[in-house]
Amino acid sequence: MRKITLWPLGAAVAALALAACSAGPTGGAASAPAPANRDVALVLGVNGSPFYEALSCGAQQEAGKLGLKVTVSAPAQFAADAQIPMVNAVTSARPAVAAIVPTDAQALITPIRQLASAGTKVLTVDQTLADPSLAASQIVTDNLSGGRMAADELAKLVGAKGPVLVITQPPGSTAQDQRTQGFEQELKKYPGLNYLGAQYQADDPQKASQIVTSTISAHPDLAGVFSTNDQGAIGAINGLQQAGATGRVKLVAYDAAAAEVAALKNGAISALVAQNPRQEGEVAMQVASSLIDGKPVNRQNLTDLVVIETGENAKADQYEYKAGC
Amino acid sequence: MSVSTHPETVVPPPEAASRWGAVSRWVGGGWIFLLLIALLVVFTVLRPGQFASAFNASTLALDAATLLVLAVGQTFVIITAGIDLSVGAVLVFASVASAKVMLFLSGAQGSTYGTTDGGWPVIAIGAVVAVLAGMVWGAVNGALIAIAHIPPLIVTLGTMGMALGSAQLLTGGLDVRAVPGKLVAYVGTGKIAGIPTLVVIAVLVTAVAGICLHLTRVGERTFAVGSHREAARRAGIPVRSQLLRVYLFSGALAGVAAIMAVARFGTTTIGGHTADNLATISAVVLGGTSLFGGIGTMVGTVVGVLIPVVLLNGFVILGIPPFWQTIAMGAVLILAVFVDQLKRRQRERA
Repeated sequence: MRKITLWPLGAAVAALALAACSAGPTGGAASAPAPANRDVALVLGVNGSPFYEALSCGAQQEAGKLGLKVTVSAPAQFAADAQIPMVNAVTSARPAVAAIVPTDAQALITPIRQLASAGTKVLTVDQTLADPSLAASQIVTDNLSGGRMAADELAKLVGAKGPVLVITQPPGSTAQDQRTQGFEQELKKYPGLNYLGAQYQADDPQKASQIVTSTISAHPDLAGVFSTNDQGAIGAINGLQQAGATGRVKLVAYDAAAAEVAALKNGAISALVAQNPRQEGEVAMQVASSLIDGKPVNRQNLTDLVVIETGENAKADQYEYKAGC
Repeated sequence: MSVSTHPETVVPPPEAASRWGAVSRWVGGGWIFLLLIALLVVFTVLRPGQFASAFNASTLALDAATLLVLAVGQTFVIITAGIDLSVGAVLVFASVASAKVMLFLSGAQGSTYGTTDGGWPVIAIGAVVAVLAGMVWGAVNGALIAIAHIPPLIVTLGTMGMALGSAQLLTGGLDVRAVPGKLVAYVGTGKIAGIPTLVVIAVLVTAVAGICLHLTRVGERTFAVGSHREAARRAGIPVRSQLLRVYLFSGALAGVAAIMAVARFGTTTIGGHTADNLATISAVVLGGTSLFGGIGTMVGTVVGVLIPVVLLNGFVILGIPPFWQTIAMGAVLILAVFVDQLKRRQRERA
């Protein structure tokens, strides 16, 4: 009897020990304070997103080349309260460098200050802090100019005439806000375009689809849609299909998730503005390596932003956010 | 439940019953605490310098503090055989209401980053607003459950959306970025006698609630209502007002957690706390409280909150890939519910 009821505890401990062992190669050397600490912690924005998985892949491959030992962690939600415990654990682990995607510009300041004062050099990747002085270096993409590129591309596609719509996240995410802002700034150059404003979907394709169908009901002459991320794009594709407007209404979307690349190839999306997460990861590790070696680094490192048009399938494949390494 | 293993029990063969009873009581009572100890030992052995540091200990306590306050309220709710899915959303609403009021009283502008110079009176008013805002949603939950007899799962699922939506309405979706500097400095990152202030608050709340649950009539009635509602009613316990009180308390604690979160983050976090409800429910269940009501302890909840926090921290320090962490947490939860089943089977035999 006693044996039977004790097994849950035993199993849990055994599983844990097993998990710890399987992580052996990453950890083994870390516990000994080796003369040259080349440990790098990478804290992503959210677990299981193709964008951050691609970033993580780029980082791990580059770390292998540079002789860095990288450990990756990621919160279950893209939110400060989920990410802060991980940043704190990284502080306890005392790596030489921590590359972090701060999920909130303000809430992460205190934990990152703590991390930096414990002797770990901090890089921010993809997102930024309200107080950038805490980071030894920032790896960013220019979301404002990405928004402008989208506006130029959409204007070209629709002949600079007709109503256009933006689908984005509710305000609060700096990156998404800047994409919309850049788009709106550039739109002023095209007086023929009638801007219908921005509609919000919170990473919800269903909502984005409804926004598109109801906008087409109100404006049957809708010329173009710009979605600031992949979830909005997936919904917009569906909405255009429902309304029988695929191809007639031009869709320009940010990012190059697998679904978006497929849609570009079959004509549902007319153009993509793609970032290069893999390169963000690589640059982060290069900067980390320089910091460990005491070499000078740029305060800010801009990574690629490209427009991929219909027919540029090879380019689309190259930039597609791939999760597997 | 105290008479279960008496030798004179008639139905099952006495010896088997008492042995089975002793084992399952031991497993149910203490195993989760042993699991926590085992985790601490394993991580300490694997990473002595990193896991078992003073900094990491205070980090673990801090990471658990806000969640613990929410889980205390959830314990009361689950003991009444209810559930509160709205805690995280109510936290967000209360933090927004409180931060807005503090911003207004400090006379500062909207959503610029930084801190305001609001003094202690402003902070005190902000704290009261947070608790009141939490209690408003608690009252809505309680009234709909106790008086309108709508199932708690549905009611709190509804108010979860309503509270979050109201928070977004109040702010236009933009987080309130400026909170009083003193709140952040003394409460959010400050220490009292070397212990983080947030941890002190969480421990005090838990201690008071624990005494209330286990040593007072209010606590006794909470168990009675969860154990057998009809029996409680016939015994003259005002079931409705007891349920109302429990949900009101859970809402108030979400308000307390809200001001703690604002102090800790230096901003509201509208996009966050989406998983707080499930995190608190699983912590309470891990701690041995039965989802069917009538059984539970406050100490168990404390342990139940600490286990995921310790697991996550240890996994990150060990460098275990993130996907494994999710799997491990799921497995631990199922184990806990399995043990819960063992306990109930024992009670039914008694």
